Amino acid sequence: MGFLKRLASVLTTLFGISVFVFVVLRVIPGDTITSSLGIETGVLTPEQIDTLRAYYGIDKPLVGQYLSWMASFLSGDLGFSYSTGAPVWDLTRSALLVTMQLALFGTILGVLIGISIGMFSARKPGSARDFLGQFFGLLALAIPGFVLSTTIVTVTANKFQYFPNGYEYMTPFEDLSMNLQQMLFPSLVLGIAVAAPVMRTTRSALLETVDKDFVRTAYGKGVKPRIVRLRHVLRNSLIPIVTMTGIQFGYLLGGAVIVEKIFALPGMGRQILDAINKREYATVQSSIMVFAILFVTINLITDWVYRKVDPRIK
Amino acid sequence: MKLRKLWTGVAIAAMFGGILVTQPAKAADSSLVIGSVLDIDKTDPHTATNFATVRGLGLVYGSLIEIGAKNAIKGGLATSWIFSKDGKTLTLNLRQGVKFHDGSTFDAEDAKASLERILDTKTGAAARANIATITSIKADGRKLILNMSIPNAPILAALEGVNMAMLSKADIDAGKIGGSNKPNGTGPYKFVSWEPTQSLKLSANADYFMGEPKIKDVTIRVIPTEASILSALNAGTIGMGIITDPLIARQVKSNLKMFKTPALAYYALQFNTKVAPFNDKNVRLAVQCAIDRQELINTALLGQGQVTGPITSPAYRSDANARPCAKQDIAKAKEYLAAAGKSSGVTFKTLVTSTGWATSVAMAQNLKAQLAKANITMDLDIVEQATYVPRWLAADFVATLANNGGRIDPDTMYTRYFTSTGNLNKVATYSSDTLDANFIKGKASGKVADRKGAYTAISKELEDNAVWVWLATPYEYRVATKKLRGFSALANGSLLQLRSSTLG
Repeated sequence: MGFLKRLASVLTTLFGISVFVFVVLRVIPGDTITSSLGIETGVLTPEQIDTLRAYYGIDKPLVGQYLSWMASFLSGDLGFSYSTGAPVWDLTRSALLVTMQLALFGTILGVLIGISIGMFSARKPGSARDFLGQFFGLLALAIPGFVLSTTIVTVTANKFQYFPNGYEYMTPFEDLSMNLQQMLFPSLVLGIAVAAPVMRTTRSALLETVDKDFVRTAYGKGVKPRIVRLRHVLRNSLIPIVTMTGIQFGYLLGGAVIVEKIFALPGMGRQILDAINKREYATVQSSIMVFAILFVTINLITDWVYRKVDPRIK
Repeated sequence: MKLRKLWTGVAIAAMFGGILVTQPAKAADSSLVIGSVLDIDKTDPHTATNFATVRGLGLVYGSLIEIGAKNAIKGGLATSWIFSKDGKTLTLNLRQGVKFHDGSTFDAEDAKASLERILDTKTGAAARANIATITSIKADGRKLILNMSIPNAPILAALEGVNMAMLSKADIDAGKIGGSNKPNGTGPYKFVSWEPTQSLKLSANADYFMGEPKIKDVTIRVIPTEASILSALNAGTIGMGIITDPLIARQVKSNLKMFKTPALAYYALQFNTKVAPFNDKNVRLAVQCAIDRQELINTALLGQGQVTGPITSPAYRSDANARPCAKQDIAKAKEYLAAAGKSSGVTFKTLVTSTGWATSVAMAQNLKAQLAKANITMDLDIVEQATYVPRWLAADFVATLANNGGRIDPDTMYTRYFTSTGNLNKVATYSSDTLDANFIKGKASGKVADRKGAYTAISKELEDNAVWVWLATPYEYRVATKKLRGFSALANGSLLQLRSSTLG
């Protein structure tokens, strides 16, 4: 029953997103024709405009357009990109891989950095090391991603003539070494953004757990302090950390747009932004729906991880 | 135990370190990678309007006429031409031995079919209006004969560029233009592949009529920020970059070569003369007098531009000093306001694109500050480009800051704006019988000396009435590795000079 309720809620959310995206795209001024021809649209005759509207399928009533898109989407056809002449799925498949890899690497780096610094800080609250850790957290929160990205690109390119993202993008299957080089700095930028909230959450969760009776008991039994910290304190503090990581991963999917731009990575953020500028309705709608499905799935996985971490949660 | 852990750590670090420091070999001297913020957006040259598309496809397709160094008109796929005495017939002699990339021969039938495709309203060709005076086309051996409804000498300049690309008749008949069809042109480079949002790959055309280009492979790679393009140039991962932001251009150091030329495009503060307050000429003149164009260039454009009048076509360039208030004159601006009955000042809203070009918002803010000195309040209505364009087309503005493309010939540049039947007259919001007459006069002769009077009169009428306030022309920048030789930047932004350039 719980599962069915959850599924119904997920489907309602996805339906709401589909309607919202569909409507918003049509409310903002401009359409595929004006964005494709720019000011040259002014030289078209009304007949030419009608012909083009029919060609792009934007001459039909809105409800008809929505139902037609939804029916195609549900049957696995994400539509067609007029500007590139390619199916949206072909574009999305490769872009999604880039963004997922970026978000995954960013999250892994963020979690590693965040938990390490959080533990480092929580060992002695109020001490110099705590101050250092908290200072890092604030700094990472305060520095915008585009500033950090631009600084890294400028310094490495100008001082060390190193800018792997200037080369053609390589998937891990084409050239693993190049792919890792192209992902390193963007993942680091995203990782630092994730590390800050994870670090703060880790610190407060650890401080809350460290005074619990079972921790005192473990120390009393003579368990090594490092083992107590890792196996008892950290493990019992994981719920808020997992929650924060899940939320951050979702944000990373959307927040990767700027990083993808600066590091020239052909990911989903860039694809959606380009498509919005070109008013390519099918590409924007279908890409956002794929994103939304992914986001919802990650939330479901996070819920599942909760249960694994703490069997008391049903 | 500890030692084992240490060695494992060292091994892992060495492995990742090895992966990360392995850089691919730099491109060979016969390959050029060009960084561009914009990607091409289509492969049909006749409907292309995006700068990046025009630039990229300009290497793939040829046109009858070309613009050469110093912006002179020269033969492309046509080697010579002659107008009939009444100026209504143009006969072009086509180049022999030209081949399309698929190996078929280019002839007058292809040229005829290409121009007819442009004239066909169903095509939605971007430059149709420029050749709309053609009434019939005849292919006669190596000759192409264009009959026109009126004498139209500027049509020669209109036959230049990607929008006038010569296509294969067979491709046109088979509907194989644009979409997923492989572009088949006569240009110096053959289309290899286009990966949207990533790169356009081209390879040298061994059968090119000027000989095979020395640079064998050209890749136009999308790098979405100009700062990253400059970084890639500094790191040596690309060989050339397209730069439009003067702030980035100023950061180019001596390790790179900068090609810079004044653009034909221009910035203007466009008024909607049909609505208040700009339906009053005195208000328009007040705004014109309150603006210091050089200050605008020095601040918002970081000194990277030139003051301009309406016509930027090099042979007919407007005299920027022959205008009311060529220099800022606040007292005069207030006089004009008083004459308009608005001594206490005037307020208006200006439509500004946030993403149309790098300096748009900075320019608007500078103008706002300048106008405030004359009690003119300019509120900014900042929108993104895709919203800006439809509003601009519908003349849905009181005033707007525009970056409009220029042309090598003032006829093709302004007929569509300032003649009463021009396609964009609704946006220009101004026309007059004298302007119409002068545009017809300007078409009658092919000689610059004969035509100059007409365009000087057009320029004067536009500025005396402050129809718009023409501000400045930016520069076109190409930044490249020092190895690139034989290249020069053209005012129309074309990369065609790569056909005779070398690397190394």
